[in-house]
This record gives sequence, C-alpha cells and structure tokens, in this order.
Amino acid sequence: MTAERRVANWLGLGLFALLGVAAVAPLFLIIGDVYIKGIDAINRLGGLWHFLTELPPSPFDEKGGIGPMLVGTLYMTALGALLGVAVGFPLGVYIGEMRREKFTNVARAGVNVLVEFPTITIGLFMYAIMSLAKEDLNEWVMKPLSHVLKAAFGDWVSWFIGPLDGYNAYAGAAALAIIMIPYVALVTASAYASIEQPLREAAYDIGGREFNALFVVLRKAVSRAVITATLLGTAKIAGETAPLLFTAFGNFYYAPFTGPTGAVTLWVWYAAQTPYDVQIASAYGAAAVLLTIILIIFITARIKR
Amino acid sequence: MTKVEVKDLRVSFGASPVITGVNLSIPNRSITALMGPSGSGKSTILRVLNRLVELYPEAKVSGEVYLDGQDVFKMDPLELRRRVQMIFQIPNPIPNLSIFENVALGLKLNRLVKSRRELFERVKSALEKAQLWDEVKERLNAPAGKLSGGQQQRLCVARALAFEPEVLLADEPTANLDPENTAKVEALFLELKKDITIVLVTHYPPQAARISDYVAFLYKGQIVEWGPTRDIFTKPKHELTEKYVTGRLY
Repeated sequence: MTAERRVANWLGLGLFALLGVAAVAPLFLIIGDVYIKGIDAINRLGGLWHFLTELPPSPFDEKGGIGPMLVGTLYMTALGALLGVAVGFPLGVYIGEMRREKFTNVARAGVNVLVEFPTITIGLFMYAIMSLAKEDLNEWVMKPLSHVLKAAFGDWVSWFIGPLDGYNAYAGAAALAIIMIPYVALVTASAYASIEQPLREAAYDIGGREFNALFVVLRKAVSRAVITATLLGTAKIAGETAPLLFTAFGNFYYAPFTGPTGAVTLWVWYAAQTPYDVQIASAYGAAAVLLTIILIIFITARIKR
Repeated sequence: MTKVEVKDLRVSFGASPVITGVNLSIPNRSITALMGPSGSGKSTILRVLNRLVELYPEAKVSGEVYLDGQDVFKMDPLELRRRVQMIFQIPNPIPNLSIFENVALGLKLNRLVKSRRELFERVKSALEKAQLWDEVKERLNAPAGKLSGGQQQRLCVARALAFEPEVLLADEPTANLDPENTAKVEALFLELKKDITIVLVTHYPPQAARISDYVAFLYKGQIVEWGPTRDIFTKPKHELTEKYVTGRLY
C-alpha cells in the first residue's frame, strides 16, 4: 500500500468510527442522565421500596413513589402483550404460510401499515370505541359478569371486573395490544416464510393435521424468533405513552382497573412538566424504573437469542 | 400381496404435467425402487402416496391410490400419515428439539401413547430399530442438530419408525450421506423390510440393484418398465431402461 492510500484508509476509518460514536452517544447520554438523576431522586424520595410502592408526591410532600403507576403499567403491559401474542402469532402464521390465500395479501399490507401507525391514533380509536360501546358493554357483559364473579369469589373481584368507566385499564391494554399485534405478526410471518421446504414436509408428515404441523411442529422450529419478537414487542409497549392518554388516562391512586388507571409513562409525562421539584424528581425516578424494566426485557431477548 | 396400488395417476403442477398416467402395484414387505433421471416424477409419486403433495396448492392430482384396498384420498390424513411415513433427501430433524423429542413429538401429537413410560419405550425401540440407540442413549436430551449428517438421517428414520408404519417412503435418503453412512442406511432398510414395505426413490441405479426387490423405471412422468430387480438389470426389455441402467441416460 502506498503512503497516500494508507492515509486515506486511516481517514476513512476514523470518519466511520466518529459516525459510530455519534450514533450511539445519545443512547449513553440518555441512559446516564436518567440513571444519575433518577437514582438520586429515588434515594431522596424515600428509597427504592418506598418509591416503588407509595403514592406519588403531592407538590408539598417530601417523599413519594410511583406505586399505582407501576402496577398499572405492569398490568396493562402484561395484558396487552398476552393479547398481542394471542392474535399476532396466528395472524403471522396465516400471512407467512397461507401465501396463496386471497386475503393474505390484504392482511400482510394491513399489518405492514399498522406497524408504522402513529400510536396516538390507535389511542384515539380505542377512546372512540369505549365511548360508543361502554353503555352496552356494561349493561350486557360487565355487570352480569361481575355479579357472578363477585358471588363466587368475593368482593375483591371488583378491582378487576365491573362496570367500566370511559377510561380504564382494559382500553389501555387493548390499545397496547393493537400496537403489539402487527409487530409479532410480521416477525412470525417472516420466520415461517424462511422455513425450508424439507422441514415443512417433515412437519406435515409427523404432525398429521395441518394445525399440528403449523402450530406445534413448526412453531418449535421458529420459537426463538417468536419469543424474541414477543419480548421486544413487550418492551416496546411498556414504554408507550400516547395510546394511554385517552384510554388509561392516568391515576395518582391505587384504584380498580375498571376506572382511570395510572401508568409510569403517563406519570413521567405529567410530573416532568409541573413546576414542583419533588414531582420533577419523581419523574426522573419513574423514568429510571421504566428504563430498567425495558432494559431487562431487552437484554433477556438478546441472551435468549 | 399388494400393499399399495396406484391406478392411472396423473399429477400436474400448474400447467406442466409431471406424472402422466402411472400404474403401479407395490408388493408387501419388500423394497420397491423408483428410479429415473431428475425430473422424471419419482419424488412426486412418493408425495402422492402419503398426500404430502397437498402441501403444494398448485398441484392437481387425479387417479386412484389404494393402501390395503382403502382409497387414500378418502382417508383421514392423520391416519394415512401414521401408516405411511416418509424420510427425506435432506435430513430434517426439527431444530431446537432434543434427540428424544424429535422422535417423541409425532407420537405425542397424534396421541399414540398413553403414558410417559410407553412413550419412552416407543422412542427407545424406534431408535434401536434405526440402529441409533447405542450412539445416542447417553445424550437423549442433546439438541438433534449436534448429530452428524448420517446420524441425523437415522434419527429421521427413527422418527418415522416410531409411528410403527406399514409403509416407509424414502426420497433419496442417502443422497447427502457419505459411503459409510449410505451402507448403514442400506443395511437398515434390508433389515426393516422384514416387517414393512419400503418405497425407495433413487437416481443411482447401483443402489436400486443392491437393495431393492422390485424396480420401476420412470422417464418423463411415465413408467417405462417395471419388474423384479434382477430382470430389470440383467434383461431390460426397453431400450431406455438399458441405457439408464448402463449409465448412458441421465
């Protein structure tokens, strides 16, 4: 190599390294900022356990936590992820395997659009649905159901099942599920589409029925991709704010999931813009907790792979 | 005794015909080889026998196939594939599953066993019949992907045998194996034919000569000639057959 080319090589490599640093710098700055301020805030507001379980601080409190919001986030994320996989996985199998069905292309196109959809429109949609369907839903489903369940299991059921308010955890979970469905479906579809023909034939050969071949034998073959997608999708919806604005609405107290429900993201959004230091601090603490949840899920997904 | 009877079978993929009128009867407890050049329709015939051809929506099948006198197109595919199992050109154990699970999965899915004990016995006996047990008994929970190519193929044989099938379809089972493993699989087939009927697809005439009892020579979707192996190889009636078995037609 001539000296000239060597210099050009160094310059080029240096430039790319610089670009690489520029790309990941925000990530580390965000993580650093959130954890430095967040951990400090959690300590000032009463320690980790206190912070994770107590009610949020009013402007004139010295201590407080994010208990109700954390519970709301965990509940809605779990429900949303469950529903997202329950619908997204079969949908993905359909799109990936039934490539000759007429409706497949429509479904595939729809899922591709939905995965990039502005999440606030999904929240708005669920808000409209709840407004329109609430009365009938309560009259015909929720009230009778809660009567039966309360009689069978006791009054604590009303924390979960009962007449719904316009804002409730289930609307939030449904909005999160709508975000998760196309994501899981797309990954599942591409995993199934990449299965080689000999393996597919083996699956039908030993599975007998098509259902067994597709949902048991081949699922085992692609399970890693689907589990990873599920975990990443869960991390994604755990951090969503927009779709919860009109659906869960937010709540500062422990309250039944049938009414307005808090979420960590909503608390960050609310508390960070108040003029009170204690609430701003709790927003940082909440952000650190949220980031921890998401990083744990994310790292689990990476290791699983 | 005829185990499988094929009458006027025609298969086309889209507009192109692949099988154009095949009649064949496969004797019980024997090895019948289907041999012929690439594209002659050998593998397609196999896939009709256990209806895996239905995986290809563009395939149009007409004609009749009988298993012990029963019309296979009217059978429950579950029942059919339990009785007619298949092994493939490329060893295809299910990835991410252990050696044991690969053999056990089909039995579990089709509810063929009643207890864990019975499941283990069936898996063990299948692995023994496939002459793989001694090599894997210490590591039944290891992933199947860790086995060598020849072992994987014998695992697939075990997976098929676990169903206790009546017919075993083998689609060029040794095409991806080295000579040593090929010899093992061939010896295995000779052992297996005491109990089951084997239909072997091969594009390698010496293999058909070595292990088969009957040979059908296919060319361009039709059977040119079929009969006992010795007759086909020593006194072929048709010019094409002679050219093929002497290696002048591929």
